[in-house]
Amino acid sequence: MLKATDIWFKNSNRYLLQSINFEVKSGEVLSVLGANGAGKSTLLKNISGELHPHKGSILFKNKPLSAWKNHELARQRGVLSQHYQVSLPFTSFQIAMMGRYPHFKNHPLPIDHDIVKQCLHFSGIEHLADRNYLTLSGGEQQRVQIARVLAQLWDDASTDKLLLLDEPVSALDIQYQHHIMQLVRKLAARGFAVISVVHDLNLALQYSNRILLLKNGKQVAFGDTGLLNKQHIKEVYGVASELVAHPVENRKYIIITE
Amino acid sequence: MKAGILVTTLIGILLLAVILSAGMGALHVSPAQSIAILLKQAGIQWDVPYSDQQEVVITVIRLPRVLFGVFIGATLAMCGTAIQGLFRNPLADPVLIGISSGAALFTVIMIVLGLQLFAGLFNMIGAYALSLAAFAGAFITAIVVYRISQAGGKTIVSTMLLAGIAISALAAAGTGIMTLMANDAQLRTITFWNLGSLGGANWQSLGVLIPVCLICLIGLPTLSKPLNALVLGETNAAHIGINVESLKTKVIVLTALGVGVCVSVSGIIGFVGLVTPHIIRKLIGPEHKNVFIASGLLGASIVVIADLVCRTIIAPIEIPIGIVTALLGAPFFLYLLLKEKQTQIVF
Repeated sequence: MLKATDIWFKNSNRYLLQSINFEVKSGEVLSVLGANGAGKSTLLKNISGELHPHKGSILFKNKPLSAWKNHELARQRGVLSQHYQVSLPFTSFQIAMMGRYPHFKNHPLPIDHDIVKQCLHFSGIEHLADRNYLTLSGGEQQRVQIARVLAQLWDDASTDKLLLLDEPVSALDIQYQHHIMQLVRKLAARGFAVISVVHDLNLALQYSNRILLLKNGKQVAFGDTGLLNKQHIKEVYGVASELVAHPVENRKYIIITE
Repeated sequence: MKAGILVTTLIGILLLAVILSAGMGALHVSPAQSIAILLKQAGIQWDVPYSDQQEVVITVIRLPRVLFGVFIGATLAMCGTAIQGLFRNPLADPVLIGISSGAALFTVIMIVLGLQLFAGLFNMIGAYALSLAAFAGAFITAIVVYRISQAGGKTIVSTMLLAGIAISALAAAGTGIMTLMANDAQLRTITFWNLGSLGGANWQSLGVLIPVCLICLIGLPTLSKPLNALVLGETNAAHIGINVESLKTKVIVLTALGVGVCVSVSGIIGFVGLVTPHIIRKLIGPEHKNVFIASGLLGASIVVIADLVCRTIIAPIEIPIGIVTALLGAPFFLYLLLKEKQTQIVF
């Protein structure tokens, strides 16, 4: 669905991304991993269209990303960031309804109302629909934003949408971290492609099929989650680790040993 | 509260304010007589006796003045709503952030130096020259303040307010220089502009005011959806398909037009643009479509009633309307600052 070839991005004479290559297909969850400052967010911004690479090509649905019109792209690709600065007292429902903005002109249709209700239900916050967003806790606010991004991409006719997540669960407690990541898996099962920046390596192993490892703007590894080893972790994060068999699931579990 | 109920109530209040304001003054006209005279202008006969003198006072003096109040109040309140939406901050206001001062400075420059500097322009567009100057002043100030106060996709409130203070001070200094160069007649005009007054109302200036205000009053509500989306921040608004650059340009141009034309005919009338959207948001929430419509109606009523107070409270002396709106609005602004300090929502 999205194919990036030889992406270079420069910011005031310093390369923040150097020759990044990866691809994500419908139904896949790709986790972008790396230490702080590795270029994860910069890469995500290049994919979302907020920044433009200086060299290389990004194809989205076989069409160069730069050739997409902004409002067309908005129906195919949603972005969830880590922080939202909302200063006016909108309700959760109104915020979630903003996800439908690319789909209606001036007034929301009954279907838009239905979809927003479903998405609030999906994120488990329908009881907060009429609450003032500003009075919610950080975790609740993030779930409202997730409902908004879901509403943006919710479409029964086609399910091959791209979802970009920039540290989506960093502000949430363990229950909702997993709740949201399971949601992400469900979306992938419907045909979504997901690219997610995550910090928790075990969360990445548990919920994604593919990983992209970055260090200082350079690509260290890209491939199936199974390929992650302790040399990678030493190189990228500078810590020693052991990979042990997960007691329940058929996958590895990472323990940091120093 | 439902938006529909509020809008209906506000239309009622505005009609009441208009009829009351048309009737009160040195020559008393009863509400029924006012309605009959107003209806006659619309070609409808209503059997209420009134004198010719009453009809002349209403049609020549009071009706233009009331219409001034209606259009200026509605435009200032809607521009306030738009600017607060653009800055994503409920403390922004065309007067506070210096847009009105910029417009006033350019107007004053035009009054004092216009005939010497732009003689050709004056000959060509006459009465519109002041509006054009005010628009230019408002436009430049709006862009400067917006650029200064934005960092990383956010508005830095303290910077925005301080930039407003600096620009207002600069404009005041410029106006001061102009007063040194002005003759007596120009001096009186300048004083009038700085304090605000609807006293200059006549049908001719309404011919300039109404079309420009209508552009704002119709144009701004069409920006409701993108302004709602903008509360998520510029980047996130772009992610849901909003053309943020085009939105910013439209808001700044329409606001500069609206504030510019209002300042050019009535001077600086403060706090209407700040306070009105606040009251409305408290009642029906922040959805911009509703806030625009309801603010326009409430702003119109506030200015019409404030003007009524100005010209009747110590008649025959008229108080500048800017003084009345500041007396009501400034304490309200302080209350807002205290409240925001407690909730920590804005700062």
